[in-house]
Amino acid sequence: MIDRVRRRALAVGALSLAVLSWPAFAQWQGYKTPGLPRKTDGTFDAAAPVPKAADGKPDLSGIWMAPRIRVDLAQGMKKGETVPFTPEGKRIFDERRATNSKDDPGARCLPTGIPVRATLQTPFKILQTPGVTAILYESRTQFRQILTDGRSLPKEVDWPAWQGFSVGRWEQDTFVVETAGFNGKVWLDQVGTPASDAFRLTERFHRRDFGHMDLEMIIDDRKMYTRPWSTFAELLFQPDTELLEYICEENERDSARMVGK
Amino acid sequence: MHRFLLSATVCAVLALSSAELRAHHSFAAEFDSNSVVTLNGVITKVEWTNPHTYFHLDVTDNQGKVTNWAVEGGAPNALYRAGWKPTSLKAGDRVTIVGSRAKDGSNLANATSFTLADGRCLFAGSSGPNGDATTNCRQVTR
Repeated sequence: MIDRVRRRALAVGALSLAVLSWPAFAQWQGYKTPGLPRKTDGTFDAAAPVPKAADGKPDLSGIWMAPRIRVDLAQGMKKGETVPFTPEGKRIFDERRATNSKDDPGARCLPTGIPVRATLQTPFKILQTPGVTAILYESRTQFRQILTDGRSLPKEVDWPAWQGFSVGRWEQDTFVVETAGFNGKVWLDQVGTPASDAFRLTERFHRRDFGHMDLEMIIDDRKMYTRPWSTFAELLFQPDTELLEYICEENERDSARMVGK
Repeated sequence: MHRFLLSATVCAVLALSSAELRAHHSFAAEFDSNSVVTLNGVITKVEWTNPHTYFHLDVTDNQGKVTNWAVEGGAPNALYRAGWKPTSLKAGDRVTIVGSRAKDGSNLANATSFTLADGRCLFAGSSGPNGDATTNCRQVTR
């Protein structure tokens, strides 16, 4: 573990060196994001206070990314907890594990589960505006709208969707996003944690300081799980970078070659 | 010494971004991390595409027989952030690639590192357990 930490520290040091010595990609990567808190040496000050929006709430806007990759949401559960599968949920999950997730719709460039997007170590940008907060995910060029104009989720969903429908509200300094209306096709993560059309997701975003955000994702699906369960992710603010293009369908050749075993 | 430092820097930087490359699909459904292959050859074609880059190379064996391999690398955005450009590797460049072979038995691998003719070692986007760039680069440049 220490070795890993040391290696990462080395890598971070090397990255700063490299950014200094590789001006070629400075126009889009390495361009100093204006308006960020900086230390006297010009580096980003992640410990600076949380910025506020015009309405006085924390402003979550910016590019965020997990510090390490997790393909399995169970890895983000509290110590000692396990995913409370129903027999049907367990059957589906075991089947997907047995075939190494070869049938993951995400591998065919279809949408990935919202929870795993926060844990795959791919960047996404939050744009917080009055009435709507948008999340732009670099991976596969996906986006979501979280409506904050006071409406509530529809009681009946007449158009089940891959990403469902999201509304957001503030509970003190925590942005709480509720999403329902899923179509039951999406996999929640890359190991195949399942979701049915009864899936409801609650995300609780809490920005700790300028550079750090805690995210709790509460997964509620009475067909797949015996009770709601939580998985946690840490997000790091990404200074001096910008989202890049990712057109997944361009040259997708993996799915046809997935033998599974 | 300067060259060593450059290699170390490049490898470490690419290690940092390596995990970003794993996002597209399950590694184990397609590749076998226990079947490591080292390919020394000449690049014939580069596909700078999503969801994965592909580097095709001709590998000549001891008997002089030439086999064309395809090597899957990370997504362009991840490689770009790590300092790559679409022209970083071109047809005609000599390269040594370490990777994991495809389970379907074809001449396909998932790259864990590239070593260029000048000794620079580039991590190339492993999706699997062999994807520790620093270790892999050390192996091939030793």
